[in-house]
Amino acid sequence: MTSVCFYFQVHQPWRLKSYSCFQIGYDHDYFDDAANRTVLNRVADKCYLPANRLMLELIRRHEGRFRIAYSITGTALEQMERFRPDVIASFQELAETGCVEFLAETYYHSLSFLYSREEFMRQVRAHTEKIEALFDQTPVVFRNTELIYNNELAAFLDTMGYKGVLCEGLDYALAGRSPNFVYHPPHSSTFAVLPKNYKLSDDIAFRFSDKGWQQWPLTAPKFAHWIHQIAGNGEIVNLFMDYETFGEHQWPETGIFDFLRCLPTEILHHPDFDFLTPSEVIARYPTRGEYDVHAFSSWADLERDLSAWIGNSLQHDAIERIYSLERHIKSSDSPELLETWARLLTSDHFYYMCTKYWQDGDVHKYFSHYDTPYEGYINYMNVVTDLEYLLERQMQREAQAQLQTQ
Amino acid sequence: MLLSPLSCRDQIIAYKSTQSVSREKDPLMEVLMLGWEFPPLISGGLGVATYGMVKALRASANIRLIVPRSHPSSSLENVRIVGVDRALKEELIREGRAYDLGDLVDDLQRIPLELSSYHSIRALLEETEHPSVMHESHTVKSLTQLGSYFEGHEAYGPDIQRKVYLFSRLADLLSRNLDFKIIHAHDWVTYPAGMRIQARTGKPLVLHVHALETDRAGSEVRNGVYELEHRALRAADSIIAVSEYTRDQLKRHYGIPPHRVHVVHNGIDPRPTQRRTHPFRDKLVVFLGRVTRQKGPEFLLETAQKVVRVYPRVKFVVAGTGDAFIPLLETAAYRKLGRKFLFTGFLDRRRVDELLSMADVYFMPSVSEPFGLTALEAAQFGVPGVLSRQSGAHEVLPALTADFWDTDKYANYIYALLQYNALHDDLARRSREMASRVTWDAAAAKIAQIYRSLILN
Repeated sequence: MTSVCFYFQVHQPWRLKSYSCFQIGYDHDYFDDAANRTVLNRVADKCYLPANRLMLELIRRHEGRFRIAYSITGTALEQMERFRPDVIASFQELAETGCVEFLAETYYHSLSFLYSREEFMRQVRAHTEKIEALFDQTPVVFRNTELIYNNELAAFLDTMGYKGVLCEGLDYALAGRSPNFVYHPPHSSTFAVLPKNYKLSDDIAFRFSDKGWQQWPLTAPKFAHWIHQIAGNGEIVNLFMDYETFGEHQWPETGIFDFLRCLPTEILHHPDFDFLTPSEVIARYPTRGEYDVHAFSSWADLERDLSAWIGNSLQHDAIERIYSLERHIKSSDSPELLETWARLLTSDHFYYMCTKYWQDGDVHKYFSHYDTPYEGYINYMNVVTDLEYLLERQMQREAQAQLQTQ
Repeated sequence: MLLSPLSCRDQIIAYKSTQSVSREKDPLMEVLMLGWEFPPLISGGLGVATYGMVKALRASANIRLIVPRSHPSSSLENVRIVGVDRALKEELIREGRAYDLGDLVDDLQRIPLELSSYHSIRALLEETEHPSVMHESHTVKSLTQLGSYFEGHEAYGPDIQRKVYLFSRLADLLSRNLDFKIIHAHDWVTYPAGMRIQARTGKPLVLHVHALETDRAGSEVRNGVYELEHRALRAADSIIAVSEYTRDQLKRHYGIPPHRVHVVHNGIDPRPTQRRTHPFRDKLVVFLGRVTRQKGPEFLLETAQKVVRVYPRVKFVVAGTGDAFIPLLETAAYRKLGRKFLFTGFLDRRRVDELLSMADVYFMPSVSEPFGLTALEAAQFGVPGVLSRQSGAHEVLPALTADFWDTDKYANYIYALLQYNALHDDLARRSREMASRVTWDAAAAKIAQIYRSLILN
C-alpha cells in the first residue's frame, strides 16, 4: 500500500501599517487593519472558501477515502474570526467530517524555537488551545514555521509528547534515499519524521501553470500516473504546500481547481493507493531509517535554509532586538504588550527584510507589501522603538504602584 | 636539419603578432567630441564626466576633443584636446589662410538674427551691447580676440548663449582640419556646434544628454534653450541619456520615443577611501553641490526641521554655494535652525573628500537630477544616501529614495540611518560595493557599441 499525505499551510500575518519616526511616542496602534482585512477578504474569496468547498465535496464523494491535513496559524484564525467568520465555519464543517487533521505549530508563525524555548512552548500551547476550541481536536503531529527543522527540534517535540514532525525532504539528509518513507531522528527510532516530496509537491505548487515547463499542462491522470509509479518503492507521498496554491498563487483560470477535483479519483483508481493524514501515516507505517539534520533547514528558496528570515544583518538586528524584550515584556503585567510583542515575532516581518534576491525582483517581492527590504526594516524598527517606549512606561508605572502599596 | 619545436620566446612573439593583427582588424574609431569643460578647468559634473568617458573610450576610439577653453595641463595620452581659446591664438594665426573666415565674420554681425527661435539670445543681445563681437572688423586679429572670449573664469556666465553660438562657429571651423566618422556632443552648449558640423559633413551626430533645460529651470520651461534642445534631439542620429530617469524626461517633456534613447550611466573612477572620526558630537548629514533651486534647498530645510525634532543630535552640512544659498541661510536662521546647519561654501576636492570621510548620511533632495555623481562619490566613502527619486543615481546605488517633495519620508529615512546602526552599516557596505562596479569602462563599452552601429549603418 502507498498513501498520499496532503498537508496545506494556512497563514496570515498581522501586517504593520506605515509607521514613521514621527509616530514614535505618540501612536501605539501598529497594525494595518484595513490592509489585513483586504488581504484576508481577497484570499478568502479566491482560495479558502472555494478550496474548502471543493475539499468537502471530495471528502463526501469519496466517502472518507479522501483525507487531508491543515496547519492554520493562530494569527490567521484570529483574522478569520474577526473579518471572515464564514471561513472559520467552513473549516469547522471540514473538521466535522472526521477526514481532516489539524497540525500543531506556533501560534504566531514565529521563529521562536531558535530564540526562546519558553516562548516556543507558550505559542504552541496557545495554538493547541485555539485548535481545540474551534475544531474540537488536539493536534498530535507538529509542523514548525516554514518547515524549519533539525534534530534538536525533533528531540524537543518528542519530550513535548508529539508523535512526529513534518519537514522538507532534504537531498543531503536523504542521501540518495527516497523521501517516500517515514524516517526517524537520531535520538529515537519511533519518533516519526515525514519528509516532503518536494518534486511532486512543487509540480503542483510552483510549476502547475508554468508554460515553459516541459510537463505543462499538468493533468490529474498524468500526476496520478507519476504517483502510481511509486508503487513498490515507497509507502507514503508527502504533498506539502501553501493552501493559497489553490486559487491565489495558481489562479482558477489555470485549471488548478479542476485538477484537484479529478485527482483523488485518478489516484484511487489504483487499488494499492489511498489517502492518509499525518497521524494516520505514523500509526500505519514504521520508521525506515535515520534522518540526520544538524543545521536548521526549511522549505524556502533554493537554499532550504534560514537565510530568507535571518540571512542579513538587518534581519539579525531586528529579530535580536525584539527577542531581547522578552524578559521585560513577560515580567510586566500587561497582556496587551505581550500580545503586541508576540505579533511582532511573526516570521513574515523578517521575510520582508530579505535582501537575497532583492535586486532581481522575485518571489520575495510578491509576498511583501514594502517597496524595498529597507522599508520593511525601518518600519519594523520604528514600531519596536515605540514598543520599547511603552514597555519602559509600563515598568515605571508598575514600579510606582509597588512603591505606593509598600 | 633538425626542426625544434617553437621555443617559449618564439611562442610569445607569435602570440604578440596575432594580437597586433587582430588589433589591425579592429581599428580605433575616429570620433570628434564636442565638450564644454575639461580638467583642470571644470565648474561642474560635465567636465568630470567628459574626462572619465574620454579616458575610457581611448581603448576603442581615437578621440579629438574640442572644448572652449583648455589649459596647458589639459592633456590625455592619445587624445587630441583642442581648446578654442588657444587654438585660435596658435593655429589660426599660424595657418590663418587655411581657413575661410569671410562668412564667419559676416555671420557674427548677424548673431541676433541667426537663431531666430532662440528668443533669449535675442533678448540678451538687445539688452547689452557687445561691440567687440558684433562689429569686429574682418581681420584674423579679431578672431584671436574671439578666442580670448572664452578665457574668463566662468565657463557659463550670463553671456553663455553668445559663447554657445561662437563655439558652434569656431568648433566647426577647427573641425575642418580633423578626420572623424562620428560627432559626439555633450549637452545643449555643444549641440549647435554638433548640428552645424553634422550639416556640413553628413557624419552621424550623437547627442549625450547629461542634463536638460527642464532639469535646470523646471519641467514647465519652454525657453530658447529648450527650443534648441528640442531641435537638436530631433536632428540627432543617436541619443545617449545618463539615466533611465533622463530617458523618461526626454519622453515626457521632449516627446522623444524611448527606443531612440540609449541609457549609459556615468562611471566613477575607483579610488581608495577611508573613514575618519570627526570632532562633532552630533552626526553629520551632508548636502553637496550647487545650492540652486534644482537641488531642492527648501526640501533640505524642511527635512532638517523634521529630523531635528526626532533626532536632535545631528548637524546638516551644506557644502557648496549658488543663487539659492543666501535664502537658505536666512530661512534656516529664521526658523531657528542655524545651530543645526554648517555652511562650508565651495569646497575643493580635498576638502570634499575630508567631509565625505566623516559623513553619516548623504542627502540629495534634488527636484530633478539626471545623474547625481556626488551620490556615487559619497557611496565610495561608504556614506549611505537618502536620494530624490527624481534622480539617476539611485538606479545604480542601493539608496533610500523618496519623491523630491516628500520631506516626511526623507526625514524618516535619515532618522532611521542615524538611529539604526545595522541599517546604516548594511547600506554603507552595499553602496561602497555598488559604486565600485559603476565604472567608466562599462560606460565606454556601451558608447563604443553605439559608435559601431552608427558607422555600420
